[in-house]
Amino acid sequence: MNRELLETAARLVEGAVKRGAQGARASAYRSHESTVEWRDGKLDRLQDSTQKGATVTLFVDGRYSSNTTCDLRPEALARFLDEGVAMTRVLAVDPHRHLPDPKHYAARFDGDLRLYDTTGHAELTPDVRRSTTQQLEEAVRTAPGAEALISVTTACSNSETESVVVASNGLQVGRQVGDFSISAEASVRDQGDRKPEGSSYGATTERSALPSIAWVGADALARGLALRGSAPQKSGQYACVVENRVASRLLRDILQPLNGQAIQQQRSYLAGKLGERLFSQKLTIIDEPLLQAGLASRPYDGEGMTRQRLPLIDKGVVRAFLLDTYYASKLNLAPTTGSTTNLVFERGTQDLAGLLETMGTGILITGFSGGNSNSATGDFSLGIRGQWIERGKPVRAVSEMNLAGNHLQFWKELAEVGNDPFSYASIQAPSLRFGAVQFSGL
Amino acid sequence: MKRMNRRQFIEATAQGMAVLTLPPLLSHCVKDSGNSQATLTNLGDGFAGFGVDRALLARVLDHGLKRGGEFCEIYLQHKISHWVGLEDGQVNRASTQVDLGAGIRVLKGDATGFAYSEDLSETALLAAAATAASMADGTRTVTPRELKAATFKSQYPVLTSWSEVGVDKKIPVLEQVDACARKRDPRIIKVTSYVNDESCRILIANSEGLLVEDEQPMVVLTANCVAEQNGKTETGGHSEAARDGLGFLSPLRAEAVAQRASDHTVLLFDAVASPVGELPVVLAPGISGILLHEAMGHGFEADFNRKGISIFADRLGQRVAPAGVTIVDDGTGAIRGSINIDDEGTPGQRTVLVEDGFLRSYLHDRISAKHYGVPSTGSGRRESFRFPPVPRMRNTTMQNGDKHPDEILASVKRGLYAEVFSNGQVQIGAGDFTFYLKHGRLIENGKLGPYVKDANLIGSGPKVLAAVQMVGNDMKMESGAGYCGKDGQRVPVGFGLPTLKVGAMSVGGRRA
Repeated sequence: MNRELLETAARLVEGAVKRGAQGARASAYRSHESTVEWRDGKLDRLQDSTQKGATVTLFVDGRYSSNTTCDLRPEALARFLDEGVAMTRVLAVDPHRHLPDPKHYAARFDGDLRLYDTTGHAELTPDVRRSTTQQLEEAVRTAPGAEALISVTTACSNSETESVVVASNGLQVGRQVGDFSISAEASVRDQGDRKPEGSSYGATTERSALPSIAWVGADALARGLALRGSAPQKSGQYACVVENRVASRLLRDILQPLNGQAIQQQRSYLAGKLGERLFSQKLTIIDEPLLQAGLASRPYDGEGMTRQRLPLIDKGVVRAFLLDTYYASKLNLAPTTGSTTNLVFERGTQDLAGLLETMGTGILITGFSGGNSNSATGDFSLGIRGQWIERGKPVRAVSEMNLAGNHLQFWKELAEVGNDPFSYASIQAPSLRFGAVQFSGL
Repeated sequence: MKRMNRRQFIEATAQGMAVLTLPPLLSHCVKDSGNSQATLTNLGDGFAGFGVDRALLARVLDHGLKRGGEFCEIYLQHKISHWVGLEDGQVNRASTQVDLGAGIRVLKGDATGFAYSEDLSETALLAAAATAASMADGTRTVTPRELKAATFKSQYPVLTSWSEVGVDKKIPVLEQVDACARKRDPRIIKVTSYVNDESCRILIANSEGLLVEDEQPMVVLTANCVAEQNGKTETGGHSEAARDGLGFLSPLRAEAVAQRASDHTVLLFDAVASPVGELPVVLAPGISGILLHEAMGHGFEADFNRKGISIFADRLGQRVAPAGVTIVDDGTGAIRGSINIDDEGTPGQRTVLVEDGFLRSYLHDRISAKHYGVPSTGSGRRESFRFPPVPRMRNTTMQNGDKHPDEILASVKRGLYAEVFSNGQVQIGAGDFTFYLKHGRLIENGKLGPYVKDANLIGSGPKVLAAVQMVGNDMKMESGAGYCGKDGQRVPVGFGLPTLKVGAMSVGGRRA
């Protein structure tokens, strides 16, 4: 645990209590991020920065506030606390505001989750970052179809973060995490003025787990080329497959309504539905905070509460809401956690090609564009792009189309889950096959 | 403005939170309609309280050019943000954020080296300059010029900073919003409301001798409602924002925000599902200007065109819209996207993008302006000192046409009248854009029919621009809390539109 950060957080908590707070929690962090972007044969942007900050959450005479600063010098923090405590006293009393019961700090996992790759960060020198971006561009330019390229942008970055959380009722935790990413974007010529872009990337906590440069480059170009000649299809009800790397966009509209504030404020179409089967039996989503080398793995949450595996949806049944201490108290329920970490899914047996083969005719969604969801009703409408599929194979690109429905009906159409979880994100969604759903186009 | 020495400033910067209103405090921050001048006479030794002096800035700029960079810039920012919220009838939550730091940028050709520091000591600033300088790998070619303070007339002079306005001044506003929204309609069962204000001071110095500062206030008032009817719930909301002071939070505004939030919520009980497929669309004046922002505005940002990846690349001087269509991006005024200066120090200004259907200009920052050999349009913007600037929109509008709104409606036999939107997105290269309709009306035989809700509208920017058929004479600015995201950076923007008829757009409804 970083001693300097620990001292900063402890000083904040101690200072808050000294000023009259009955409870206080402070987090402090320091992070370093380096990025190189390379475009069309030359350096485009080099960025390298160190960031630090602290947040103190105050519980004063039954009142609450949260205050953040990046000025961590002791004399500045003292004044920061003076004003924070005084400001909190002006607010209304809220009986539901309090620190978590210390029992929720217990039994925390203290093993190695492989979230900081010491060797990987040491070896990724500025020169290596730069040469990686050059190699990525080379990979795009030597992939099949490169003659259609207009522009190539590549990037290589890594970040390292140390953080601590201290609370006045006995919490003191810290961790060190890091990640690596590489990416490529390929802009290609199309009919008229259209210049579709394809992109690909990998992001991991361990450098050795990044995808190969050759794969990222070729994948970016292939995705750009696949969008050429796209056009809307006639409006209608079609079967569809949602590719793994973009399925998280759909899942977001299930996850957000699980949030405690949405439930308590009656803004959620899932309010009052705990224990009910609302979705296809094919859908099982588990929050897995202790996944080895998971991008969002963590043994404790933002309040310091110990995190454990938490099934959210089990074979279509809503099993848990995301409840921090405050909204759990307001709802008179036991707290779970206020936010998700890694989300893993019960896998099916087929990969993307297999799902398309089973679907036969329909739409493969490879990208979403804009759109939104009404969290109170579940109505949604999302722009999509992808491929029109016949006999399990892509025959032409589609764009300028919308997918619309109501989540309470839409997810009942989930017919099959792939065996291909996308590992370069915290939501490790597999590809998803749906029955006939509503698309608008021409 | 009171001068501060470096020590006083360092102490003052920790004072992020306004606790109680401090006497003597003006009742509001007046927007001076006269000749208020954000003069920089105080830059002589205090540098607007940033605790740095001319000599230190000169040393940092010099250090940034040691490796062969052609241009170096330092952007200092001190921002204090407050958020105060109401839920379940009580103003029982608040947060504060203090940001202080410097972003240092070195340019060579189109390439950028960038680093930032939250420590304004000389050691830290020189280290950041060295990091930014490392994008070049040669020897010095440029020597910084002597810094000379620039002045301008502020569009939003600040008499009382938000950092001096206490929470006690905001609590009654939120309580009024809650009461007004519930009184407006008994079906309202939940109200959340918040005030978000910012006091942001920036100072920019560069190796060409520019030295300029600005103070940028911002205030947002938002209300969100939940209504219940026959066991069904609906949500809606409304927000208003401006570069203004406490006077913005008037009882009249609180009432208006509450009533619109309430109205936008309960009308949804009467709404039917939106239709599906291509329809004529009439865009209501105001927030529908999001169409300009997504369908055209991003495509006009010069970085995408410089790289040749925008659908509007190489279209300068060409017709991109029917005659009568004029689109402007305007940094002047004191509304959401207004800026006295951009984040490179170029004066905020009015830029005609499309004039009577012809593409006249892109939106330029320093890099693209140099690339195209034109002056910057004052469009180089950044979220904070933690980011380098890129070309961004400010307040984007379409100018009035000559049609009465009733005439436009009467021309549509069956279509969609699009009123309130929540968000949008665009694929820059393909030109495909979307914007999400929160609610609107069906048009049946030239008249407004039932409400519809929750549909994504999608189209190709150039095709939709070419399909503009009628432009109304009722241009209205949107005054909400709009943000634009690009390159991982969010900046406040505004937009406006007169009533506008587009021949056909694809409507993503649920009613087959």
